[in-house]
This record gives sequence, C-alpha cells and structure tokens, in this order.
Amino acid sequence: TVVMGAFHSGPHEQQFRQLADKTGFSLEQIETLHKRFKQLSQDEDTLQRENFDNVPNLDCNPIKTQIIEAFFDKRNFEKGGAGTVQEITFEQFLTVMGHFRPPELRMNDEQRDKVRKEKLRFLFNMYDTDNDGTITLEEYKHVVEELLSRSGTLEKKTASAIADAAMLEVASITVGHMEPDEFYEGITFDHFIKILNGLEIETRMNIHFLYVDTTTLCK
Amino acid sequence: MLSCAAYLLVTAATETLSDLYVAEASVIPEPAYGLSSVSTPIPIGDPANTGATAVLPDGKTAEPCDTGAGSHTATMTEFEIVKWEWSYVQAPYLTVIWIMIASFAKILFHLSHSVTRVVPESCLLILLGLGLGGIVLAATKKPEYQLHPELFFLFLLPPIVLDSGYFMPSRLFFDNIGTILMYAVIGTLWNSFSTGLCLWGVKGAGLMDCNVNAGLMDFLLFGSLISAVDPVAVLAVFEEVHVNETLFIIVFGESLLNDAVTVVLYKVFNSFVEMGTDRVRPVDYVKGVASFFVVSLGGTVIGLIFAFVLALITRFTKRVRIIEPLFVFLLVYLAYLTAEMVSLSSILAMTFCGICCKKYVEANISQKSRTTVKYTMKTLASIAETIIFIFLGISAVDSSKWAWDTGLVLSTLFFIFVLRAIGVVFQTWVLNQFRLSPLDKIDQVVMSYGGLRGAVAFALVILLNETKVKAKDYFVATTIIVVFFTVIIQGLTIKPLVKWLKVKRSSQHKPTLNEEIHDRAFDHILAAVEDISGLHGYHHWRDKWEHFDKQYLSQVLMRKSAYRIKDDIWDMYQKLNVRDAISFVDQGGHVLSSAKLVLPSMPSRTSFSENSVTNLLRENGSGVCLDLQVIDTVRSVRDREDTVMHHVLTGNLYKPRRRYQANYSRHFMSAGEQERQDHEVFQRNMRRRLESFKSTKHHSYQGKAKSRYKKEHHAQKKPKCTDVGELVPNGKPRRNVSWQDTVPVVVTVDSEDDKSETEKEDEGITFVARTADEVLQEPLPVLPPGGQDVCHSPFTIPPSPTCAERQLPWKGDQGSLPVCVSLETTKIVPIDLQQAWNQSISSLESLASPPVAAESQSHCRAPLCRQEQRGSPSARGARGQGFLFQFPDWAAGQSGEEDSSQPVQQQEMQPLMSTGRAPKPVSPPSCVTGRWPPRISLLKSLVSVPPSASEPRSRKPTQL
Repeated sequence: TVVMGAFHSGPHEQQFRQLADKTGFSLEQIETLHKRFKQLSQDEDTLQRENFDNVPNLDCNPIKTQIIEAFFDKRNFEKGGAGTVQEITFEQFLTVMGHFRPPELRMNDEQRDKVRKEKLRFLFNMYDTDNDGTITLEEYKHVVEELLSRSGTLEKKTASAIADAAMLEVASITVGHMEPDEFYEGITFDHFIKILNGLEIETRMNIHFLYVDTTTLCK
Repeated sequence: MLSCAAYLLVTAATETLSDLYVAEASVIPEPAYGLSSVSTPIPIGDPANTGATAVLPDGKTAEPCDTGAGSHTATMTEFEIVKWEWSYVQAPYLTVIWIMIASFAKILFHLSHSVTRVVPESCLLILLGLGLGGIVLAATKKPEYQLHPELFFLFLLPPIVLDSGYFMPSRLFFDNIGTILMYAVIGTLWNSFSTGLCLWGVKGAGLMDCNVNAGLMDFLLFGSLISAVDPVAVLAVFEEVHVNETLFIIVFGESLLNDAVTVVLYKVFNSFVEMGTDRVRPVDYVKGVASFFVVSLGGTVIGLIFAFVLALITRFTKRVRIIEPLFVFLLVYLAYLTAEMVSLSSILAMTFCGICCKKYVEANISQKSRTTVKYTMKTLASIAETIIFIFLGISAVDSSKWAWDTGLVLSTLFFIFVLRAIGVVFQTWVLNQFRLSPLDKIDQVVMSYGGLRGAVAFALVILLNETKVKAKDYFVATTIIVVFFTVIIQGLTIKPLVKWLKVKRSSQHKPTLNEEIHDRAFDHILAAVEDISGLHGYHHWRDKWEHFDKQYLSQVLMRKSAYRIKDDIWDMYQKLNVRDAISFVDQGGHVLSSAKLVLPSMPSRTSFSENSVTNLLRENGSGVCLDLQVIDTVRSVRDREDTVMHHVLTGNLYKPRRRYQANYSRHFMSAGEQERQDHEVFQRNMRRRLESFKSTKHHSYQGKAKSRYKKEHHAQKKPKCTDVGELVPNGKPRRNVSWQDTVPVVVTVDSEDDKSETEKEDEGITFVARTADEVLQEPLPVLPPGGQDVCHSPFTIPPSPTCAERQLPWKGDQGSLPVCVSLETTKIVPIDLQQAWNQSISSLESLASPPVAAESQSHCRAPLCRQEQRGSPSARGARGQGFLFQFPDWAAGQSGEEDSSQPVQQQEMQPLMSTGRAPKPVSPPSCVTGRWPPRISLLKSLVSVPPSASEPRSRKPTQL
C-alpha cells in the first residue's frame, strides 16, 4: 500500500519537493523513506552506523558491512567526495537509495549507458574501500570471501581461491595477453565495466520503491 | 518411446491375461484337472503343476496351463521349426516401428541444414505425418492411426512436461512468476471467454453454417480448449528461435501454467454442456470457480510433495547409484499420474515437481546419474514430441471426423489471433507498472504471435462427447486447422519476424566467474537495501526463502557431502578448473605421457598426436631428436635421476586405466580408479594455476617497487628467451609444450628458510611460482643442511628398485604397468571435449576437500618465495610494501614451452634426446645427489602424497 496524502500537510513538503526533483523519487516514496529514516534514526536528523543494527534482517546478510559503509561513503552522495562520514542526513540517505531506483521506462542508449555507469560506480566504490581508483586483489578478495563464505556453504579458503580465480579471469579479460613479468595491479573502473559487460545491471540493480509495506514501518 | 512401448506392452499383456482368464475359466469348471494337460508335450510330472494352476486362478500360473491348453494342443499335430507370431509381437512391434520412423525422419530433416534453418522441425513432422497418413489411408482404405487422447495425456505429454519442468531455469522462472501467472491465468481466461463469446456472436450473426449446432456453452467449451497456448508447440518453435530468456520464459511458462485454467474451464463447460444448459444452477458456477483453485493449487501441492519425497529418496541412494536416475523418472511420473488420478492439474504437478526437486536431486545423485537423467529425459521428450507432431499430421487425414465450415474456421483463426493480441497488450500495460524491466512493444508482438496451439487442444477436442456436443466434428476440423495454421504458418514466420523486429536474442555468452559473483552480490545488496528501506519486496522474500532453504530444507534433503557442490559459484570455479585441466592436457598432458613415459616396445611414434612435441621439434629441425628408442642406449647420470623420478611419477601420476575392467556387476559401476584420475586432473591443474599465477595480497600498490621488481624479473628471464626463436615456429608456439607444465614446480624445501617465510607470510606474502628450470638453474649448493633432513623422507627411495629397474624403470614396469602411456589421456583433449568434461566434472562430487592441492601449494609457496628473495633482494622490499599480481600465466607456460632448447629443459628431457649438441654438463654428481632427493620428495609431495609431518606447513591459501 502506498502511503498517500500524508505529505501535503507535512512540515517537510517544500524540502521533499526539492528532493524529488533532485533524486527522481516521487513524493510518496520520499515520504515513506523519510518515515523509515526517522524510524531508523530514532527521530534524529541524522543516521549513524549503529542505527542500522536495528534492522533485524540485515544480520544474516553476508555483505552487511559493505552495504552500511556504502551509505556513509562520501563518493556515493557527493560529487568528487572522498572518505567517509560519521552520520548522514536524510538527503544523503535518499541519494544513496537513488542508486537503486529503477530507470525510466524508455531510455535511449546514451541514457542507458549513463544509468549503467552510475550503478556500476556505486558497486565499484563498494569494493574500492581505500578510494584509490583500483580494486586491488586484497580488496576484491575480502568482499568475495565475505560474500561466499558467509552466504553459501563454502569455506573461507575456497572462497579465497575463487577470488583468486576471479581476479585471474579479470586480468585475462581486461589485459588479455600478459607478459610473464607483467603484473596486474587491480581492477580499474574501466576494467570493472568491461568484466561486468554481460550483466544487465541497469535492469538488475533496481528495487521497487512502490510497495512500501507500512507494517514494517510500525515495527 | 519407452513408456509408449511399455504402455502397449501392458495393454497387450492385459489382453493376453484376460484371454487367459477366459481360457482358464473354461478350464476350471472341468472336473478332471488333468484334462488340459493330457495332451501337453510335457506330460511327465506335471499333474502337480497343472493342479496348482487349477487351484490358483492366477495369471502367472495360468500361463503354463494356457500354453498347454491353447497353442500347443492346436499345433501338436505337426512340429513347426519356425512360427509366425505376428499377433504376439504386433503391438510393441508397431510402436517401435513408429518410433523408428519418427527418428529416421529427424535424421532426414537434419541432413539438410538449409531446410531446418528455415522450416521448424515441427512443421516438417506434421507434413510428414500428413504424407504417412495419406499412404496408410490409401493402403488400408481406412484411417488406421490416430492420436489417442489417452495415449497423448498418459504417455506422450509427460516426457515433454518433465523435460521442460526439470530443466526449467528456476531462477528465471521464479523471477518472472508474477508475469507468467498473469498471462497464464488472466490471459487464458480472457482468451477462452472472449473467443467463445465472439464465436457465438458470429453464429448469432448468421455467418456460420446452420449445421453447426452449437449454443453458447458449446462455444465457450470450444473457446476454452482452443485458447490455451500449447507447451509442446511453443517449445518446438521457440527452441529454434532463440529469443531472449525473459521473453521465452514468459511465453513458455504461460503455456505450462495455463494448464490449470484450461483443464478447469474445459471440465466445467463440458459438464455444463452434458448436463444441459438449463439445468445449470448458480451454485455450479461457484463450484467452477472453486474448482479452479482446487485444481491448480492441488496440482502444485502434489508436485511439491513428490518433489520433497524424491529429493529425500535420492539422499539415500548412495549405494545404489545405478538406479538413481530411475527414481527421478518414477517419482515425477507418479506425481503426474497422481494428479491425473484425482483430476487435478497434472501438468502443474509435474512442472513444479521438476522445478523444485532439481536442485536437491542434482546435488545428491552422481554425475553419471545426472548425465543419464539429462539424456534420457531429452531423448524421451524429443521422441514424444516427434510422435505427437507426426500423429497430428496422420490424424488430420482421417476425414471421417471432419466437418468443414469456412465461417467457423476463419472466424476462429481471426479471433484467437486478435483476442490474444488484445489480451497481451492490455496485460502488459498492467504488468509494466510493476515490472522492473518493462516489456516493450516488440516483446508484445512476439508474445502475441507466439501463442501457438497444439496437441493439447487436439486431444481435448477429440475427447468431446459426440452425443452431447453436436458440433464436435466441426470443432475437430477447426482445431486441426488452427493447430496446423499456428504451428506451420506462425512457426515458419516467427523466425523472420523476430529477425525483422530485432528482438533481443538470447546471448550465447556464458557468464564469467566474475559475473556469477556479482550476480550473487546483487542478491544480497538488493535484499539489504530493501531491508534498510523497510520494504518487503521480492528480494526480501527471496532472501528469506534462501535462508530457510539453507537452514532447514537443504539440511534435510541433501547429503552432507553434496552440500557444497550445489553452490553455483563453486560449480563455476570447478568448471574453470576443469577447463584449465583440459587445455592443459590438450597442450601438454598427452605429450608428457607419450613422449616421456613411453614404452620402448611401442612400434612407432605415428600413433602419437600430430601436435606432439616430438613432431614439432622434428619439423623444425632443431637438432633435438626425441627419438624414443634412444632411451635404451643412453645411460648417464641423468638416467638415474630419471629413474627415480619415473618411480615417483608412475607411483603418483596417471595410472593407466584398465580398459578392460571386468564389469559384471549390474548394480554397481566401479568408479574408484576413474575418480582418482579425475581427482588428479584437478590437482594438477590447480598446481598449474598456482604456477602461472602469482597471487598476492594487496595493499595499495607502489609503482616504484613494481618497476624495480619488473626489472629484476626481466633480467632473470631475458637470457632464456634468446634462443627461443631457434626452436619454435612463429605460427603455433602454444602447441609446443614442455615438461614444465606437467611437473610444474620443482621445489627445494628448506626448513629454515621456510620457517622464516612463514613468519613473513603473516605480513601477507605469497608465492612466486617459478618453473622447474629456474629452480634448477639456481646454484644448488645453497641448499642448507636442513634440506638433507627433508630428503630423507621415506618416499625418497623408490620401493625396492632392482638394478634393472633403477636403470630402466620402464622395462621394470612393463609388467605391472602395462600402459604408462595412458591412451585415455589423449581422450581428454578437446577432440572429445564433452566426455573429458564429464569425466573431470564427475570428480567434483568426490572432492569434498582435496587437501593435496592445497598442500602442494603451500609447499611450493615458501621455497619459491625464498627463491625470489635470493634472486632479488630488492623485490623483498617491493613485497613488503605492496604486493604484486603477476601474470606469467599462459604466457609463462608459453615461454616455458618455448624454452625447449634451454639447458634445463634439455636436462629434463635428456634421456629422450639423442642430442644434436652435446649434453651440457649440468651439475657435478655430488651436487646432483645432494639435490635429487629433495627434488624428488617434493615432486612427490606435489604430485600426490601428503607431506610428512616433519615438514613445516605454511598457511594454505587455497584449500578446496
């Protein structure tokens, strides 16, 4: 059920309208997300890392840390930003959420490409924890290990081996033939785009903000 | 088709049995129990037998009685050498003949590629059926064969549904389940009712022949059977079109899931017609609606129950692997029959049974069983499909059931097409409000056009009761036309249409490992974001389900050992490994086995692969002659080295497969040896990966260190590369593979260094794989005394080598190891890639954790690091700061390959080469003795034997 009508009388109406223009969310979506924000932050204006502990389902998520970190990563809500912050405002929260907004129904190739790049950038930032423009093997391994060993049935060592193999694959895809004495430094963003070429990220990395279940808001 | 044959056999058997009963009934009343046996050819001692027969009126025991009483009495007058028993074999015989014809037809069609590319097979089959039907009709003057609804629903449809259910891409299916259900339920309801009503309207408008004696209910009944999209036809046509997966799954999923709606509508209207329209009470409509839910949900539940049972059963079939595949077929078929029995939707039952059981079943059963299931299923489905289309053609010839009415036929064709298009457009508009990836106009066109009707409609229309449904003949004719039109005309044109509309095709591209990993990551990311934003969307529920599945279902339904294998990414990784192994074998494996471990008794080299090193070398006139016969004459220190090596290798590498292994057991297929070998492919290939892949932990990378390191490395590599050109043809250096690949890393273990290394490793160092030559090139005396301890491991000394063996191990082995040249290894090359693949894959299930690969890795690692240190002290600094990710990788293999003229290389190969040049004085004997043992012991540890406990173990980074 979509919460309707409530925002008209809300104190934030003006702000919400601006946000809607900025992020592309509808007013209803902003309204519900704002409710959620308030609920998570316990009625504060900013959200801190600890607040995410209140989301029960997140506990069994293998890449919980990375996700939460993504919300506090300046790169995801500021142009040219770097580093992390301690707390985020609602606008920043909304901007991060915006990365998961489904794109418009009709897009030309250029737009599609743009959406795709934005989403990939988000993902890239998630892996590239030290913000140096490359995902090093260690960083990549870390995520893959977490992902596989905590979610699936694989042991950590296997996961690590798989990460190695994946990196090997990255190198063979992006660089192609390497001289025996060459090194692969890490995945740059261009390489990242290249290796995920087969993945329809613009249709995959989306969430319906349509069905807002109010029961979860009341919890 | 087996089940079909079985059916006819059964019917034949029951007929015979009932005959027997009749015969027996006539016998039993006779007071003298010996009466029938009086004249039997087995007169002695049979009163007991016949007595038993008379006492027990049982089919089985009746048989001897029958043979005694019936045929034998009749033919006793004269003994015949051969008899004509046509009536006895007729039913199965004809069935087999039909299947043969169908199969031959397939061969015939596929002889001409240009025809099958344009014309779908289903069209050709129907046309063939028409032709055959014509011939039969002309020959016998009466239409002999028909697509019997019973035969269709009980035997021909299940294999197709089973195949499509079992191999349904479940993730894709459930991702689109909402859309599929929408089209299947709402779409089919809309199509049935609107078609029925429109036809009734046309009738009312007087555009139909007045002989078409049908009311509203009749038309609704006809609408219900004609409007359902047919899974068989859709599958047959879409299989060749290759539209994108989403589009395919929507159309195909709809055709499967609309069964419930079709069945219910058909039954409801059929009973309404039979009851008479005036006697239908309002409560019956309610019942009809209720029956929809019962039929669909009931069918699904039955499917789920059987899926659960099936998964549970396969958990316990470990000791009876041979019948594993059977369970899959039995249980799923049972689900179908059970649903039919209680008149629920059998297609739904079977589909869901197949979809849901697959994950667990595949994890539980062995690889061979998996292959068996796959191929049997595909064979059955393919044959069933072929027979269906042929019989559709044949049935159409039977003009006695036809009653043509142009108005009805044309208006039906028009309405089913237009109404489907309208339905699709409307539903898509609704769905696009909810779908994340909207369906565009082109998709809608394909969906409308892809609504093919087929054998289900035909079987249903044949089932109509002629006395109640007056217009049955008209309906039959119309259905046949509609089916033919959709399958032939639309089937023919859909391919050009798809091409013309530029519908997104399915990508043939297989997802890479990274894509798989990210796909997995997406699931979790999306679930997390949904959780954070407080939504209970699809991802949330899927995440919940997966959690539940992991926590409970998989625990119950999967073997513990199978638990790991079900992981997709693990699968993927394994496949990568196997692929590597195959390419490895392709490049060098068989060369090793044939060139290095060849038997002197082998007649000639001609049996070797054309690509073998030997040939390449000879072609290039390198002066190195890998003449294998020379082995006998060359005696040197290196012979001894080789001898020991040989023992190690033969002890641990490929054992010749016993090709003529007696396999008398019907219940078990011995797999031990085979699996061990597969295991080894895997290990070897792991080793190769490690060798070619310097994995390191990374912090941020420092360019300076890199370049320095690079230089060092270059300096090392350079001199070797100089004489590469001498040997290797420009064209295909890759084929030219040396030892290096196969005995990858000959490492000297050195406990002291090792210790220090293990400490350093905590900072995150890893290994630099160095191929054998480099190790050998090192000044060997560096080996500290500690090395000696290691080499005294019990494995060092080959088991009681006789003198002769020591010199000529291959001779000594001749008896016990008949074929060191594993002819089987050559099978692993991509000539027969599929087989190799399967073989290798089958090792996966036994690979709970292959420790050896990890061990070997840990072993190569430490000393390799040491090597690196020694060679380049500055590289140490580089390592300390930031780690490098080096890719000697294929290139390394290649350069190694190219190095065949290197001294070390030669040294390795020495015994095999009667050299054009003088063998280089490699190392003084003292050195040699000093280094063999560790080399060999390490070789050993690399090859398969777990290291002795005394050897310090370092961290194992790659435990599999």
